[in-house]
Amino acid sequence: MDCERPAEDHGTRQNGGAGEGGEAAGAESEGDRERSREPRVNISLVGGTPLLWRAGDIRRVREEDGVVGALVGSLARQPRQNVRLGRPLEILQEEASLLLERGRAAVQHTHNQEDEESHVKAVEAYQSRLEHSYEEQCVLALEDKKAVLQRVMNAKQNDHTCDEGTEQAMRERLSSLQKGFTLPRSAMAVQLCTARAGFGHCPEEAAFLAADWPMPRDERSETRFRVYRDLRGRGFYLTAAGKFGGDYLVYPGDPLRFHAHFIALCLSMVEQLPLCDVLAVARLGSNVKKTVLLCSPRDSGVEGEVVYSSLQWSGMV
Amino acid sequence: FYCSRKDHLWGNVQVFYQDLPLSIQEGYERFLSPETVTLHQYQVFGHLKRLGYVVNRFDPSTVPSLYERQLNLPLSRDRQNKQLKRKRSHSPGSRYPHFKHKDPTSSTAHTHEQDEPMDSGSHVDRAPERNWWTAASSQSRSMTGLPAALPWDFRLISFPDLGSSRAARTCLAAPDPELLPGALQVGECKMASWLTKLNLKEEKLSRRERERQRERDRYKRSVNDDREVRRCTNWAEYLELMKKRRRQRCKERPAHLWEKDVTPLSQPGLCTSHRELLEEVSIIQSSHLLEEASKLPQLDQWRIIFNVYQPDSVADFKKSHPGNPYTRMCVCSFDGPVPDLRVMKQLSFQSADIPVTFAVVDHGDISFYCFKEFKLPSDFY
Repeated sequence: MDCERPAEDHGTRQNGGAGEGGEAAGAESEGDRERSREPRVNISLVGGTPLLWRAGDIRRVREEDGVVGALVGSLARQPRQNVRLGRPLEILQEEASLLLERGRAAVQHTHNQEDEESHVKAVEAYQSRLEHSYEEQCVLALEDKKAVLQRVMNAKQNDHTCDEGTEQAMRERLSSLQKGFTLPRSAMAVQLCTARAGFGHCPEEAAFLAADWPMPRDERSETRFRVYRDLRGRGFYLTAAGKFGGDYLVYPGDPLRFHAHFIALCLSMVEQLPLCDVLAVARLGSNVKKTVLLCSPRDSGVEGEVVYSSLQWSGMV
Repeated sequence: FYCSRKDHLWGNVQVFYQDLPLSIQEGYERFLSPETVTLHQYQVFGHLKRLGYVVNRFDPSTVPSLYERQLNLPLSRDRQNKQLKRKRSHSPGSRYPHFKHKDPTSSTAHTHEQDEPMDSGSHVDRAPERNWWTAASSQSRSMTGLPAALPWDFRLISFPDLGSSRAARTCLAAPDPELLPGALQVGECKMASWLTKLNLKEEKLSRRERERQRERDRYKRSVNDDREVRRCTNWAEYLELMKKRRRQRCKERPAHLWEKDVTPLSQPGLCTSHRELLEEVSIIQSSHLLEEASKLPQLDQWRIIFNVYQPDSVADFKKSHPGNPYTRMCVCSFDGPVPDLRVMKQLSFQSADIPVTFAVVDHGDISFYCFKEFKLPSDFY
């Protein structure tokens, strides 16, 4: 009995294919199927860097996939500072790869190959939206002006200082406003879209329009990706760690709530690291109070596990 | 394009493409590319603009040359004035006869060579091609394979002869207008009047001076006494001669180590200061960053992208007269290589006097680095 069950588990794990444990595989695939029915997150590629533009997408990947990334755009309300930035969100290559692998995201075509007809329709739609917005703004501006005049009239009445003449003038102004007010076109407020407008595609169309992931894979990025996937699978949140001399900063939860615990360095199993580099990175880690993790994926196939070693500075007593 | 992007982001400008307004995402996708401006460069640009700096694109042709800097000229904004001046320069025929008036032992051979393309090309309306300077450099580029950055052709720079008995009849040719600053016009120089102002009397030395001169003559030889040197007619030949002699002297052994007997580099009591002692003992000479930087060829991967000026409150910046930038920016990333000495020499040379800052982009984080020259102290005061 006892020796049968491990064999059975081993068998199902091998047949799982997706690398999950046997019993977990069933629940996972159901969740996946549900999520795949949702519209996928759009990744836009600019010069090889994956960017996310929609606020909804950014929120979703952070809550559900643990993708943190970094905001790199100007914040529209406060453009002249670098402390808080706005969209787009720049994500790591590994994060984009994982999202694509899990079917949670799709890469957008940069130039929509629209035909003449749909382009003309888009222009017409834009013009009609603009007209509609203009009419709304006219109404609102008129209401605003009337309210101001009313306030002035009430204030004067309460003061009891004005005579009949000025009151009459005020009322005349109010009525003329009602009749002949136009909002000049140049004063109209126009919306500047951050993300690309016109997204009325159903999932099938989106899949059709999605571009292939054009990333070249060399050994180093392969190593990094496997380490990323393993750490993410364990529930850690990962961000870039160039300033700390490593590959990833590893947080036990969302970075807004925790400090990083580890600096992860990705090495292949056969890579040789000079001792002075090890010393340098250990010293760096102890200065910033983080543990340095040396991570190496085992060579056994694509789905092998990753081996971790931590460096700790200790003295010989 | 830059300013429009930032203004677009700050809600000042609306950009239309094919009658539809561009969203910022489309702007990123359409405008940012390796040929125009990469995403990293745009991120650095945005970072600096948000802090208030004035950022312009760098144009290598607007950097003043060393000569112009030495003259301390106010830099004119556009180089088009220079182009116009070239077109209005002398006709080809008038310039070259001046070379022929000079000492017949000098450069007659290659003036003939130069005159032929001049005469045949008299209908060419681009005057710079007639200039011995640029024409020769294009020739030399093809023939001797000199690097394109080198504008001087040493075969054509002759030694002017002003001291010999024939000097009275010579006149120096007018300098090339491109080498002159601004609207300066210099005609040719007749030597006769100047020579009359020279004191050509024989020197009468006192006894001590004569002794000193004898000492000097014993240990030092004048370069002009050398017959082979006298045979050289221009700098190129002189350099060749020196190189040949150096090669003969040290067939296997490096000259600076084996030329004389093996002796101590210094004796106690010979030097009075630390610096002198260190100079006596040194084998490798210290260099500075811009040494031989002009001979380096252009680099592909590394180039200066931006001029950064301090915000208006600190310095006066006018678009017509920007003045010197605060620093020049070169953008790279942690994924790429670290700039090596060659890159730094090349970029510092290209940037003239202004320090170069490296902006390193790492997933939205930008760090700025610059390299400063440091001279090892050789003495204490």
